[in-house]
Amino acid sequence: MRAELIFNAFVGFFLSFLLFNALMLPGSDNPSDLLGAGGFPTVLCILGLVVLAFITLRVLRYQKAIHVPLFDARSVDGRAAALSVLLLLAYILVLDIIGFILGTLLYLPIAAWLIGYRSPVRVAIYTIAATVVVTTVFGILFLVPLPRGIGQLRELSYLIY
Amino acid sequence: MEHLFEAFGAVFNPLSAALVIVGTVFGMICGTLPGVSTSLAIILCLPFTYTMDPASAVVLLISVYVGGACGGSIAAILIKTPGTPEAVATTFDGYPMARKGDVGKALGLAVTASSFGTIFSAAVMLVAAPLLAKIALTFQSAEYFGLGLLGLSCITSISAKDEAKAFLSVILGLLISTVGIDTIDGTERFTFGEPFLLNGINYIPVMIGAFAVAEVIRNIEEYRLRDTTKTVGTVSIKLMKFAEMLRMWATFVKASIIGVVVGIIPAAGGSISSLIAYGEAARSNKNDPIPFGEGNPRGIIAPEAANNAGVGGSLVPTMVLGIPGSPVTAVIMAAFIIVGLRPGPLLLRDQPVLLNTIFLGLIFSALLLFLGGRFVTQQFGHILKLPYPLLAPLIIVLGLVGAYSLENSIYAVFVMFIFGLIGYLFDKFQYSNPALILGLILGELVENSLRKQIIIADGSFSGFFERPVSLVILIIVLLIFAWPMIARLTGIGSPRGKKG
Repeated sequence: MRAELIFNAFVGFFLSFLLFNALMLPGSDNPSDLLGAGGFPTVLCILGLVVLAFITLRVLRYQKAIHVPLFDARSVDGRAAALSVLLLLAYILVLDIIGFILGTLLYLPIAAWLIGYRSPVRVAIYTIAATVVVTTVFGILFLVPLPRGIGQLRELSYLIY
Repeated sequence: MEHLFEAFGAVFNPLSAALVIVGTVFGMICGTLPGVSTSLAIILCLPFTYTMDPASAVVLLISVYVGGACGGSIAAILIKTPGTPEAVATTFDGYPMARKGDVGKALGLAVTASSFGTIFSAAVMLVAAPLLAKIALTFQSAEYFGLGLLGLSCITSISAKDEAKAFLSVILGLLISTVGIDTIDGTERFTFGEPFLLNGINYIPVMIGAFAVAEVIRNIEEYRLRDTTKTVGTVSIKLMKFAEMLRMWATFVKASIIGVVVGIIPAAGGSISSLIAYGEAARSNKNDPIPFGEGNPRGIIAPEAANNAGVGGSLVPTMVLGIPGSPVTAVIMAAFIIVGLRPGPLLLRDQPVLLNTIFLGLIFSALLLFLGGRFVTQQFGHILKLPYPLLAPLIIVLGLVGAYSLENSIYAVFVMFIFGLIGYLFDKFQYSNPALILGLILGELVENSLRKQIIIADGSFSGFFERPVSLVILIIVLLIFAWPMIARLTGIGSPRGKKG
């Protein structure tokens, strides 16, 4: 129950924050525009807060326990999921620095290992094959923009995609 | 009739057949890949059409369009990542069905429904294109507002677990859609000085995060608890039998009609039609043994038929009036101009054969979806043979490419990541990810058309009720929202009500 109450508190904070900002928005210069830029979000925030209050009251009344493994450091699977999420965040953070190819070559094997795959040769083959295929299909064939990194890595990426 | 025979000759010849096959398969492949849109697929084909005669060029481009519209469902079913925005609703039941082991059946339903929708729209267009285009142009803000509400009414059918939480989810989606520059008076809303928020939050990274990333996190948690000794065999489409199609004829026809009608309306688009069709199917078949959201076949048929029926629909205003209603039809229109055709009111008079060629091309392409579908799904089906620790990071990488490619920006990838976590928590606390996406997709349409209509009516709400089409749509929406309450009060639809 506690986890859901914390979640609801976050949602409540988000809605209140948006409501405050919506109320600060200037009114429209056009007198026919009754709602203006802030009208629609204001109505939605108020409606959302009312529904959230109803949901929270129900949570308090029924007190149903919900397990969220991602935030449970004691569970093995929760730890694997949490580390995978952190790895994904790290991957996203470094993508614009080291580029798509290098980033993916690092991300794929570590992610597979974190989830529980323990065959180094297969992981190596898979990592190289997946990176080559994705880069070729998206970056070269379909000209889809991929992160290039900075400095020399950026220059190198132009030779590939 | 003479024009029809002439068009028949232009479409059903070996060269056109080859172009239709290539176009359909290429469109399907592009539709399957997140980040490669149907419009991009058509743009990539453009250079090949420069030297073709107009009929062949038209046939090729239309085939790519049809293939792309269907291809989005393949990734939606296999990895819960819609390849195209129009395939959002297909994930609701397609992925659960695939998870139950019925991958081939789910893909077969999607391909069959896509083919039916395309053929249906081509037939309707062949008969009534000019008339329908004129009706579509009478749509104004009041009708668009009604259409947006009609789309939102889907939440009554897609989120049965907890109605209050589904309602809050849709409110959050609508709120997120207000981020960015207000298109009516140019005010910056909730941007906090961040340039990347000026254009708002695109729903594609949100969708990839809430569906694909959240699903990957959930699966990683459960990975050790699962039986991982089972491997997936060759994935091949199990096409629907005719008797099965007959049993579900109402879903096919209703969804296709919705697809054609919404497709004709400029700027409405396949995402809206597939959501409305899904909602309608869920409403009409509440007592199906398999609940919607858990792998109900109609939950795949309805959005796919509607989505592909929109292909024919969207071509009507483009061809007949010269008004492209979507980015894809804008690219097609540009391509037509390049090959020497002038879409617009004079096209019917000057090029009567061409309109028939387009619609026969649609039918031919729809028939070949089966062939293309079998080939493409078999290739992409190999992905499912990977052990999950290898598949999960690959899904993330594909999702990341899809998000990044939208604006060539890492911010969209952050949005994907954040909504991955939100989607995961939504799932844990029984909030509704589909309702969140629904609100986000329809938010702009609902708010803008509401405000525009009020401005047009000089600050009055009367315009919504004075226009007949708008009034009818609003009454339907009201009935849909009020129906659960009416049903509870009167006992209709409940087991007791049935007995009584």
